[in-house]
Amino acid sequence: MAYVIGVDVGGTFTDAVLDDEGTIVAAKAPSTPSDYSQGVMDVLAALADGVGEPLERMLAKTHHIAHGTTSSLNALVMGNVPAVGFITTRGHRDSIFIMNVEGRYLGSAPHQLQNVMGQDKSHSLIPKSHALEVTERLDRDGTVVVALDEDSVRAAVRSLLDRGVRSIAVSLLWSFKNPAHERRIREIVAELDPDVFVALSSEVSPRIREFSRSATTIMSAQIGPGLRDYLGQMQQRLTDAGLRGPLLVMQSNGGAIAAAEAPSTAISTVGSVLTGGVVGAVSLGEQLGHRNIISTDVGGTTFLVGMVVDGEPVRTSTTIINHHPINVPALEVHAIGSGGGAIAWIDRGGNLQVGPRSAQSVPGPACYGAGGTEPTNTDANLVLGILPESGLLGGRKALDVEAAREAIRVHVAEPLGLTVEQAAAAIYAIQNAQTGDLLRKTVVEAGHDPRDFVLYAFGGAGPAYCAAYAAEVGVREVVVPLGPVASAFSAFGLAASDVVLAHELSDPGLMPVPAATAQGHFEQLERRLADAVSRQGLTFDRVEFARTIDLRYTAQLAEVAVPVPSGPLADADVVAVMDDFEARYAGLYGEGTGFSAAGIQSITMRVQATGVLPFNPQLPKLADADSADPAAALATVRRVCLDATAGYVDTPVYDYRLLRHGHVITGPAVIEVPTTTVVVPPGTTGRVDHLGNLSITTRN
Amino acid sequence: MVMSIPGSEHFSSRPIDPDVLTASLPDSLPVHSVTQEQIDALDPLTYEVVRHRLWSVTDEMGEALKRMSGSPIVTDANDFDFAICDEVGQEVQVGLYNTMLAGAVDLAIYWTLQHRVKNPGVKEGDMFLCNDPWVGGGLHQNDVIVYQPIFHEGKLFAWTSAICHEPDLGGVGLGSFSPAAQDVFSEALPTPPIKVVRDFEIQDDIAEAWIRRSRVPLLVNLDLRAKVGANTVGRKRLQAVIEQYGADTVKAVMKRMMADAEGRLRDKLERLPDGTWSATGYQDQSHAGDRSVHRISLAMTKTGDHLSFDFTGTDEQAGLINCTYAGLRGGVMLALMPMLANDIPWSAGGLMRCFDLVAEEGTINNATFPAAVSRAPIGPAWATGSLVAECLSQMMDRTVEFADRVQASCCGTHDTAVVAGLDQRGDVPVPFLNIVMDVMAAGYGARPRADGMDTGGLFCIPMGRIPDVEMTEYLYPLMTLWRREEPDSGGPGRQRGGVSGSSAFIPYGTEVPVGLVVASSGKAVSQNNGLAGGYPGNTAVGVVARDAGVAELLAAGSIPLRLEDLAGTKDLQACYGETAVGTGDLLYLHWQGGGGYGDPLLRDPDLVAHDHGEGKVTAAGAHASYGVVLRDEAVDRQATDELRTRLRDERRARSAGVAAVDVRHDVAAAKRLDDNLVAVEVDGVEVVACGHCGQQLGDPRTDSVLTLAEFEGPTGTAGSQVTDDPGEYVDDEIVFRQLCCPGCYTAIYSGVVPAAHPRHVVELERYVRA
Repeated sequence: MAYVIGVDVGGTFTDAVLDDEGTIVAAKAPSTPSDYSQGVMDVLAALADGVGEPLERMLAKTHHIAHGTTSSLNALVMGNVPAVGFITTRGHRDSIFIMNVEGRYLGSAPHQLQNVMGQDKSHSLIPKSHALEVTERLDRDGTVVVALDEDSVRAAVRSLLDRGVRSIAVSLLWSFKNPAHERRIREIVAELDPDVFVALSSEVSPRIREFSRSATTIMSAQIGPGLRDYLGQMQQRLTDAGLRGPLLVMQSNGGAIAAAEAPSTAISTVGSVLTGGVVGAVSLGEQLGHRNIISTDVGGTTFLVGMVVDGEPVRTSTTIINHHPINVPALEVHAIGSGGGAIAWIDRGGNLQVGPRSAQSVPGPACYGAGGTEPTNTDANLVLGILPESGLLGGRKALDVEAAREAIRVHVAEPLGLTVEQAAAAIYAIQNAQTGDLLRKTVVEAGHDPRDFVLYAFGGAGPAYCAAYAAEVGVREVVVPLGPVASAFSAFGLAASDVVLAHELSDPGLMPVPAATAQGHFEQLERRLADAVSRQGLTFDRVEFARTIDLRYTAQLAEVAVPVPSGPLADADVVAVMDDFEARYAGLYGEGTGFSAAGIQSITMRVQATGVLPFNPQLPKLADADSADPAAALATVRRVCLDATAGYVDTPVYDYRLLRHGHVITGPAVIEVPTTTVVVPPGTTGRVDHLGNLSITTRN
Repeated sequence: MVMSIPGSEHFSSRPIDPDVLTASLPDSLPVHSVTQEQIDALDPLTYEVVRHRLWSVTDEMGEALKRMSGSPIVTDANDFDFAICDEVGQEVQVGLYNTMLAGAVDLAIYWTLQHRVKNPGVKEGDMFLCNDPWVGGGLHQNDVIVYQPIFHEGKLFAWTSAICHEPDLGGVGLGSFSPAAQDVFSEALPTPPIKVVRDFEIQDDIAEAWIRRSRVPLLVNLDLRAKVGANTVGRKRLQAVIEQYGADTVKAVMKRMMADAEGRLRDKLERLPDGTWSATGYQDQSHAGDRSVHRISLAMTKTGDHLSFDFTGTDEQAGLINCTYAGLRGGVMLALMPMLANDIPWSAGGLMRCFDLVAEEGTINNATFPAAVSRAPIGPAWATGSLVAECLSQMMDRTVEFADRVQASCCGTHDTAVVAGLDQRGDVPVPFLNIVMDVMAAGYGARPRADGMDTGGLFCIPMGRIPDVEMTEYLYPLMTLWRREEPDSGGPGRQRGGVSGSSAFIPYGTEVPVGLVVASSGKAVSQNNGLAGGYPGNTAVGVVARDAGVAELLAAGSIPLRLEDLAGTKDLQACYGETAVGTGDLLYLHWQGGGGYGDPLLRDPDLVAHDHGEGKVTAAGAHASYGVVLRDEAVDRQATDELRTRLRDERRARSAGVAAVDVRHDVAAAKRLDDNLVAVEVDGVEVVACGHCGQQLGDPRTDSVLTLAEFEGPTGTAGSQVTDDPGEYVDDEIVFRQLCCPGCYTAIYSGVVPAAHPRHVVELERYVRA
């Protein structure tokens, strides 16, 4: 018998979930930005209290801790990284400064894209003086055109060391076809100073397109040393406190990696804190029998959307950070600035807008009474009666409804000629519309029909809106995970995660590539992965390999990832992969839009290894209700406005703690959970399931 | 006198009153519309929600087009756009890609409704294709629009469209670009609207007639399908929006979006000063062999909430540097949308109601058939946009509110190089054709509070990008020896213009010479002018180094990084020309940076030192252009002060003497006119003075022009970024002209222009009135 612990370090709170083979315990502690490991120790102490054991005994019984950290992402976003040197092919230093031009706007919202003169390119990753060239050149086949001039390497490395650089990124043209020059440079760096951290593009991101490969390698070199120190310190504290099993770190790809292995490809952890929720959705989906899930996580500042299709989370091969395209295989998580703290404002044309600016935790929504004067979603919800005037967290966090009304009156109602209530209803509706748009973009644009999906909603602010934004896109069933993980769903996802490692290799060619070539590449990737898996220090139930290949019609920019069968490949298998690509393409863009006569190119081959851990945390069962009638859980009735045309309606408010499996709640209704508030809109019905989740469906 | 071909006027589309157009349609084509009452009755909430939906529709269309296209010019350079229009073609929402196309889309739809309704009909399930720049839809024949009518319950409800640049559509030149063209018959055939999709099905006979003309028919076919696919995405999504909110509501939102954009732009114009601002720009050479300079003149008048752009005085159409009315209008939109509508949704149909255009027929930016127009978007339309930007900047520079909208000229063209040949790297040799995209990494103009963006892209394609070197080398038998930012290429100024870059290619993997077509204006005359005394950015340079010995250098373990390191001869490329790059040759392209803002002698020396560290300015450039002396990468303050004083003395010494009235004013409380000039009230009348030294420069009671010290000298005096031998390209005399305050010798104007260039900045009327 062993525990598994998931720890999610967010910007505001650190959450933890412990699974004891069917028993789930959750805990929460404030995050400690000056030293996040302190918050982790605090939450573990709280968890031990919940389990009823001393910390030391709990940790001794723990098989492993899976950790989601903002450390990498925060360091990059805040620019809080050490000086990094960059070595590249002579003549091509400026690639990372030219940024293919797109560095001017990548990752910007539409209103920023349109404001061309408000943009800049001042966010280069490193100063030019830290970017140096060495004499060498490969061609597209990886053939050496100019041999590596080792003297030029030594001169470059010495120059960087003289400038105080302790971490060096190396990215040469075509190195993914032939890594020999990059590896030799690493040897030379080690000769000159063995303690310098080195990241090679042929290892971090062996993918064609030098700008994103170089940017990825540089960022990895920027966060590698910090991650190494952070995890080393964390591991030490945990070991000192009694942990015997390994510490795992969540990666962007939705799987964990051993802390000791993470720093060498540090960039893979950049989405660490974003993906726990999606993994949790997969796990809960298995329990509930849902194969197609839209996962929505609404916090204070952002609205995050991920997708699970046929039991598998949707993945992407590129992420954008600080206007740079980063080659990190990741669970696709779309975000907009539309959380509970998003500010409502009137643009010059007199149109109501919500977000993307947020009141954040300081000053926070006006109703928090902490100095905020601009109206937020939270203020609107308070005015509408969705949130209780008595305050959040069972009254422990007081809310000032007058401050909320005043903020809405001044900034929205009067400019639009509406009453405060109408303005609040308008804010609520705009919020639902734009989150609905993001959902549509995420789901429909990827070629899926929302009606085939169940939507999961979590995060403090999600459950207040979920039924409405789900209806916007035609989703028929919404599940709000409650029970012990109501406020720590991401940490639950972490506890449920397996180890996932991926390796990829670009070898652009015209399809059908010879089966033997593809087979050779895949086997090489699989051998490397098998080695990496064995270095994790864990015992797995089994290890699964999945192959994909990125294909496109000749000269297209965007590729479509297509699965490739495992085992020996025959030429017919390669042709079948091409057919699969064409079918997927037609599915995305319509029949007749593909055009195979232009030729199909293969770009990147990829293998993902999943080390399945012998744990499968399950939510505990909730006691059955005596009848469907939830009257016993009715806390109060108050006037709530969920729809501007209907106005304020007497609405029952239920206490979640008194709800049981089988209770049926007819909307309109509000359910108060200690850490969140669920809205059951008119025309829908909420059912409490056997795990304590609330399932909301449209009534016919 | 320009003669046009009788019958060609049939194809000349112009904006038309939507009510007149609607009234002209036969009963067989009922249209869906809404009343003003329905528009007024929209609640803000529904408006906002549906507006979001329409934005998503265009966004999805663009994503679909980009993902489906096979042309690097689309997928990598983002030279395309798309739009949703109302039932008569007014643009409700346009994309953020090539902004010039916004000036052309509606023209094609107006024309279609005037000439295609009776025969062959405009019906549900149709899509039209057009690449006739007189009809509209695009600016030159390579811009191909596919657009469809969308019906609701049998009524014409709206239109969607997708346009992109095709790499080649036939004609005598590679890339449909003939540098010697004197008329359109040397170019790709303009095709007026043809029905390429009927009853939701691509018509193979039409599609094949279409692709047959191209040197790269497979790519053109893939792009055709991409555009059909993008329109299909648009139709399905728009119909879903209609189903959810009702046709009347959606249409009311579309109409209000345009009215809203118009209202907001008018509101902004009201807050700007009235007046007339003039600007003159040039195309150096009109085609291969030409050695003259061709002028575009603009007088922009702002009255109340309306703008008028008068291009009277522009030269007659010539060579291939012409654009049709679509290009003229597109050029205006290229400046107007990002500068004035930065915070207004791009409902271009509404924005275009706020200005009118005056241009004589048969001129280079309002050309009549059969003028050659292949250069349209990147030549005359772009130059038109740069002039509009210059006038708008000068108008807005008067204000504090709009200071962040002011910008010196950006790179003034796409420095075109089309390469084609045989790729012999695979088992089977295959032909290739590529338009070099590196040149899109151009410099932006400086702004009053910010430097121009370095290698920031092209102002007219907000979301442009360039391909990775590896992708170029993978696709084509070329090796890129270098691609880099070029120091000193940004126009010197108090705020520095953005630097441009250069690339050098050698044939690699081919045993036959690579065909090359070059086309770039701005080699003799600056197109990237500075503002408020800022200097122009670099003039463009193209060189084919013959028998350069690169292979030998590489074999010996050396990678050349400068033209001077190469053997053989240097073949300087004219603005327009055709040649071959031999297997032992090297192609060098150095495209344009942006213009500077304000006098470079006023730039903070520490910023110059920082620029030097970041490779934006050389030590020599810091010395010559900025008067900054660097020692160990830091500023030598005393030497810098001395040098700056000396440079001002040199300006004084070289300038023509002026009979200046030596009157000085206290300018502490004066009103800003631009970075240097202020208006001071004297006896109830505003006079113009130097904001730095207080010297009076003009009194409207006695003067019509400012009294400034003038210098004219060789172009190279403007700095090493500018060609010192414009005679390589043109016969007209080209000079560096600088106008300074005769008191302190701060530069008020610095330009590389033909000697006959008018002195717009001295017109007193643009600053103050008696």
